[in-house]
Amino acid sequence: MAEGVAIFAEWAEEGLHPVSLELLSEARLLADELEDKVQAYFLAPPDKETQAEILIRHGADEVFYVFHQCFEDFLDDVASHILAKMIRENSPEILLFPATARGQALAPRVAGYLRLGLTAHCIAFEIRKEDRTLVQIRPSFGENVMARIISLTKPQMATVRPGVFSKAKEDPTRTGRIKKIPLSDEEVKSALHIFKKHPRKAPKVDLAQARVVIAGGRGMGTKEFFAKLYELAELLEGAVGATRPVCHLGWISEEHMIGVSGHTISPKLYLGFGISGAIHHLVGIRNPGLIVAVNKDPEAPLMKKADVAVVGDVREILPLLIRRLKELKGESHEA
Amino acid sequence: MRFMVCLKPVPEPGTVKVDPKTHTLRRESATLILNPADRYALEAAVELKEKVGAEVTAVMMGPPNAIPLLKEAYACGADNIYLLSDRAFAGSDTLATSYVLSLAVQKLGPFDLIFCGKVSIDGETAQVGPELAAWLNWPSVIWVKDIRPAQNGFEVVRLTDEGEEELEVRPPALFTIEPEINDPRPPSIKRLLEMLTREVPTLTAEDLDADPSHLGLEGSPTRVLDVFTPTYEEKKEILEGPAEEVVEKLVSILKERGLI
Ligand SMILES: Cc1cc2nc3c(=O)[nH]c(=O)nc-3n(C[C@H](O)[C@H](O)[C@H](O)COP(=O)(O)OP(=O)(O)OC[C@H]3O[C@@H](n4cnc5c(N)ncnc54)[C@H](O)[C@@H]3O)c2cc1C
Ligand SMILES: Nc1ncnc2c1ncn2[C@@H]1O[C@H](COP(=O)(O)O)[C@@H](O)[C@H]1O
Repeated sequence: MAEGVAIFAEWAEEGLHPVSLELLSEARLLADELEDKVQAYFLAPPDKETQAEILIRHGADEVFYVFHQCFEDFLDDVASHILAKMIRENSPEILLFPATARGQALAPRVAGYLRLGLTAHCIAFEIRKEDRTLVQIRPSFGENVMARIISLTKPQMATVRPGVFSKAKEDPTRTGRIKKIPLSDEEVKSALHIFKKHPRKAPKVDLAQARVVIAGGRGMGTKEFFAKLYELAELLEGAVGATRPVCHLGWISEEHMIGVSGHTISPKLYLGFGISGAIHHLVGIRNPGLIVAVNKDPEAPLMKKADVAVVGDVREILPLLIRRLKELKGESHEA
Repeated sequence: MRFMVCLKPVPEPGTVKVDPKTHTLRRESATLILNPADRYALEAAVELKEKVGAEVTAVMMGPPNAIPLLKEAYACGADNIYLLSDRAFAGSDTLATSYVLSLAVQKLGPFDLIFCGKVSIDGETAQVGPELAAWLNWPSVIWVKDIRPAQNGFEVVRLTDEGEEELEVRPPALFTIEPEINDPRPPSIKRLLEMLTREVPTLTAEDLDADPSHLGLEGSPTRVLDVFTPTYEEKKEILEGPAEEVVEKLVSILKERGLI
């Protein structure tokens, strides 16, 4: 019988990947509703047992700590094979993966091996109690609406982007079981051999952590005018974000995309310029403080969602706003 | 060597229609374009072929009106093109799609490498590639931004969340291709003309010896239950009027909130 709400717990050099704790908090809520337990699948090198303990203190009841030196590297074929085997043996009811690089490489492989349905980039879940079904919520593919999706196979699998759920709180008194599973060298034979790693030099755009996000959409008109957003971002010490069409137009790189296909942000202040506010974009804005939208169309969905809806032309409003903020800065410098 | 490239027909943004009952995309009704990311996959295969000598087979699961897209792939350097098309494929989710593609590999293979786009603009799951690799029990590497021939196979560079990694890959293997890898060439007019009157071979479920229980909406484990439009509280402040006044008001709101 299927049992348990499971997550794939990803680790990073510095410790557990933060998204692991985000998935744990959601898994805990789902498991409590199902009166079930939370399991974490943790594939890591042999010296990471303290991280397995952290998983317990953040809500896991059982950690399957599968260890081998080879997990210093990420070998897609080995990791997915072993996960598939463990999942077949333990048959959890629900299985959540982070939509990180590793998660996106692994989850579909596991789904393929086990012939399971898989829903990408969910932004919320509900439990349908009568048949213990996981209702997976994400923006619909074609329409500007949210879809409720279910999977007819078990475990019911989904991926979730970093930043969508808040991190589980630590409870030092929590106890659980760590099941240590050593792997033999035979089991970790890979067709892949990683021979060099180049860590990113410049820090990645940190939209997820930004306190202020200045986002621009197609309404900015041109790449040149879009670049004005950097000026505003500098004044407000914020990061620049964008909608998908703008990234595809090449006005800014895809790393700046906000939404179901990009980052999930939780800023104190979000300023959106020339953005219609399609659901695909809006789901990327979680727990914002203040949302300000500037759009000439007062009926645009972002204008409806905004706390402050500025009706006007970005070509007028943005330069004025930049000028006014510069003046203010000047004043405070003089003061 | 033999390479396969998976090309997806996608509705041109803005022309999509959705089946009101199943909420799956109705591809027959839309204007189809080649999924933008797949151009880089095709170009990567063709460039590698030019380096190592190989044959490139482009495969597309889609409706018959996608055929011009395959002809374009031929004009961009594919040697063989195949449409996988059957009413039974309609409504397939990623598992069912990757199953059909895996049958094409059985039928048209053996292949040394399979190239997929990084992600599609309609499904946008980025699942079909790695799922196909799992059906075949092949290794896969996602987000590949460089491929070089090497002693025992290939050396590839992949993007990761931390930066980049260089790997040695023993074929057969499947790659999903990062758009920064190349600049796709324009179609050759000569090859387009050559295709003008040519039939594009189409493989049906029967040709592929498909197990009907894995196909289409019925064979897809995921189901859209329903759709809804989120509602927002109407708590907002609307600023309208001359731009100067509006900006002044906005600045004072930001000040009040301690945001500037
Ligand atoms: C599967 C899928 C995934 C997607 N993922 C994402 C995602 O992650 N992120 C994302 O952002 N999108 C995503 N999209 C696209 C999304 O559906 C919308 O198409 C997109 O967000 C719209 O971008 P936009 O607001 O910049 O452009 P538009 O919708 O064209 O809006 C432009 C707005 O600017 C306003 N405007 C025009 N000129 C001016 C002016 N001079 N002054 C003021 N206002 C002006 C217009 O009134 C309009 O409201 C996805 C789509 C699909 C199908
Ligand atoms: N119907 C299809 N026919 C051929 N290839 C496909 C099809 N669907 C998806 N693919 C391949 O899988 C990649 C990822 O698609 P997706 O999982 O929809 O984001 C695409 O870029 C294609 O290379």
